[in-house]
Amino acid sequence: MGLAATLLSLPCAVAVAWFLERTRSPGRGIVQTLVMMPLVLPPVVVGYLLLRVFSPRGTLGRALEIFGMPVAFHWLGAVAAAAVVGFPLFVMMSALAMKGVDLRLERISRSLGRGAGATFWRVTLPLSWPGILGGALIAFARGLGEFGATIILAGRIPGETQTIPLAIYAELDSPGGEERIWRLILVSVGICFLSVLAARRLDRWHVRRLEMDR
Amino acid sequence: MKFEIQARVERPAGFVLDITEQCEAESLGLVGPSGSGKSTLLDAIAGAAPGARVALDGIDHSSTPMEERAMGYVTQEPLLFPHLTVRDNLLYSPRAASLGEIPEALGIAHLLDRMPRHLSGGERRRAALARAFLSRPRLLLLDEPFGGLDEPRRREAMSLLSHIRRTYRIPMVLVSHLADEVIGLTDWAIRLEDGKAAARGPSLSVLRAHETRIDNYFSAAVISPGRVRLGLVELATGIPESARGEVRLACYAHDILLANQRPAEISARNVFPCVVRSSAPAGSSVLVDLGEIPLRALVTPQAVESLSLKPGSAVFVVIKATSIAYLGPAYS
Repeated sequence: MGLAATLLSLPCAVAVAWFLERTRSPGRGIVQTLVMMPLVLPPVVVGYLLLRVFSPRGTLGRALEIFGMPVAFHWLGAVAAAAVVGFPLFVMMSALAMKGVDLRLERISRSLGRGAGATFWRVTLPLSWPGILGGALIAFARGLGEFGATIILAGRIPGETQTIPLAIYAELDSPGGEERIWRLILVSVGICFLSVLAARRLDRWHVRRLEMDR
Repeated sequence: MKFEIQARVERPAGFVLDITEQCEAESLGLVGPSGSGKSTLLDAIAGAAPGARVALDGIDHSSTPMEERAMGYVTQEPLLFPHLTVRDNLLYSPRAASLGEIPEALGIAHLLDRMPRHLSGGERRRAALARAFLSRPRLLLLDEPFGGLDEPRRREAMSLLSHIRRTYRIPMVLVSHLADEVIGLTDWAIRLEDGKAAARGPSLSVLRAHETRIDNYFSAAVISPGRVRLGLVELATGIPESARGEVRLACYAHDILLANQRPAEISARNVFPCVVRSSAPAGSSVLVDLGEIPLRALVTPQAVESLSLKPGSAVFVVIKATSIAYLGPAYS
């Protein structure tokens, strides 16, 4: 689910990061604020808002259900919740990576005859992908730990919407659950530790590989 | 190439470039103190600064996006794409069909498979130039293209650029703070001051009027290997034996000696009579204008006194052949 959430938000996060970092559109401030909201809002609020959006009674929820993609109280709901709460970190890291790409290189690319799109593919993306991947890892780790929004949007259906934090919560009041809790905690600490470590390593490797100043 | 530039560009720090210029030049030099707007004007021509109307040879490029303007833009720092090999950098432009003889001519043929981080500053510079040439530009835009090179390499790069420019007939705009580069590579110059054009004209006269380090720049006809004719005077010079026709030369004002009588035994190859036209203080020295030929000598006030130099004084001018440096062939 975490993986699906990350893959789902990748194109959006890169697009938003590009919009924030490389355009001078007047709407940037608003977009940036909106993108940051899930980071500071209580997760329960995020979950409730998502529930209203994806509810089978709403238009979007019904449309998705017709196409065989129910979100509310479905594993897709857990994916959506993880994607939304991980999104701000993803965008922040991606924007930071793009900021590190020398604007003059993009300008030279254009002067050499490559349009804005080609310049993005040939220069901006190749020079910022490790940072974007790092953002993906962090967002993945954040999404993995999502609790509040998930339980509201997806509920807690074992085998369907059971995420690690939800499982831990369930074990709290089950007899003899302590051992299983520790196992789950170990797994989540391990995954998060490795994700953050990998993100950092990736960035340092990239800078060294290209000897870019940052 | 006919340049028509009308630019009004405002930069965040309150700097405003406001310029309307028209000129016909093979190659245009932009000079002026740093912060006077030279690079901003170059950006405007390249299409990287909005608010500029640029027409070249009567074709208005103002609304042409940067990627379609076909300007070979070489920045002050040689910026290569760090994730591409030198070869991929050179062939980056969709207009660059094949490498041809360019890498050979620029001395980077052996570096094609390297990554930019393994190149020296000079090599990067040459690769950036090659990349611009290969994009088949209608105009080359060069921002201090030889900055950071030591003197011999700078001279070498200059003659290389001059050679390639003439071979491929690419007009260019050169930003430089060094007089010999502007005079050596351009035929028309605009002097910018505080975002405005303060002077314009043939490069030689624009620079001569404002240059603080007083050099003599002049063109002369080669009459035999190493010898040129300048007005009525024939000079022995340090120019290459292969130089022919009209050439551009430079000589420091402080390398020219003045004497009241013709020195008898002297190593300097050039001794000829002249009449002082005027003299003016220049810092702690005196700049003496040698009338009939376009040369000025820098001497001390004591020398002026002991030789009693004044307008109309007859003097002997002494110049070592090796003090006369070759800048390149003259522009036709």
